[in-house]
Amino acid sequence: MLVYPQLLTGALAQYPIIKRHRTRTISNVFDDGSSIKLSDTTGETTEWELRYAGLTDDEARALEQFFAAAEGNLSPFTFLDPTANLFSWSDHLDRADWEKGPMLLLAGGQADPAGGTNAWHLYNSGGAPQRISQTLPAPGNYVYCLSAYAKSATAGAGVTLVRGPNTANYTIGPGWRRITFSGGANASADYVEFGIEVPAGVALDIYGAQVEPQSGASGYKPSGRGGVYPETSFRDDTLAITAIDVNRHSATVNLIHAKHL
Amino acid sequence: MAGNFPTLHTSAIAQYPATRNVRCPNQVLWFVDGTQQRYRNSNGPLHRWSIQLDQLEESEMAALEQFFNDNEGCAGSFAFTDPWNGTVYPNCSFAVDELELDTLAELKGRTSFAIEENRG
Repeated sequence: MLVYPQLLTGALAQYPIIKRHRTRTISNVFDDGSSIKLSDTTGETTEWELRYAGLTDDEARALEQFFAAAEGNLSPFTFLDPTANLFSWSDHLDRADWEKGPMLLLAGGQADPAGGTNAWHLYNSGGAPQRISQTLPAPGNYVYCLSAYAKSATAGAGVTLVRGPNTANYTIGPGWRRITFSGGANASADYVEFGIEVPAGVALDIYGAQVEPQSGASGYKPSGRGGVYPETSFRDDTLAITAIDVNRHSATVNLIHAKHL
Repeated sequence: MAGNFPTLHTSAIAQYPATRNVRCPNQVLWFVDGTQQRYRNSNGPLHRWSIQLDQLEESEMAALEQFFNDNEGCAGSFAFTDPWNGTVYPNCSFAVDELELDTLAELKGRTSFAIEENRG
């Protein structure tokens, strides 16, 4: 699987990041100003403009080698949106995108730490740990940060975050706490499972589950489709990298994802 | 209808500077003697709002992007509250099929777009 490279820091991009989302609507406008509109759902495109500054020799070389491997804008690759939550439907744990343990009971509409009602109450009624997770078509050799807000009415309750074959245990109490778990997954895998595991008999509240392709957690972003974009391409067939000093390079990369491709 | 337009955490809809246009579609016919005839070409004015948002949090950006996606760009329609006077216009759309989201730094997003009122 061809995958857009991370920098040495584990970040995928630097600020500023510009993202353009385009849709296509066919409109018939009548003389009285009214109109009939029809969306061309396969005509959507998403573009990213990534501006890099201060790249090391190794990072610049990796970018150049990746551009050569993709043969410019010829071959598609997987791109993880650095501005998005990789989970799909992160506020809707009852959707089919989430794989749930059979003994895990969910109840939505709970008060969340952002002042809304998008938290979920999870109760493991079974005798073994149960998890809720998504398996994403994302590279195992990336650095990821999985984060979520959690609380439990029982002080000292446990919860486990799952990142591929790796797990981390946390203790939570009655107040909301943001727990984060960052690092790599399984280097050879093309799919990575991310999720939350609830020990047997434990009840807790979860909000803001988020996976990002970087080493630290940023502000929570409720998601829809999720931030994994397979079949992304370079927009252009040239890549210019400018050396501005010893071991310092700059470049601007334009990527495009078209829904119909 | 794809719901109501998302508000910012402050409950605001727009930030300064914001522009509001009112368009009255009329037709003017000029005759060779210099006289003219004017008539209405619609049954009322149409409104359009140009909105620029700055210093947005990630969750606010995500909400706007999701709302744009839910509406499939300018194909969908939604209720929009005029930030000048609080009037709710029940049938509005994004004016163009493009939404640009600039992430300048953490908790520092920026975007701009236009909303227009639909007839009928």
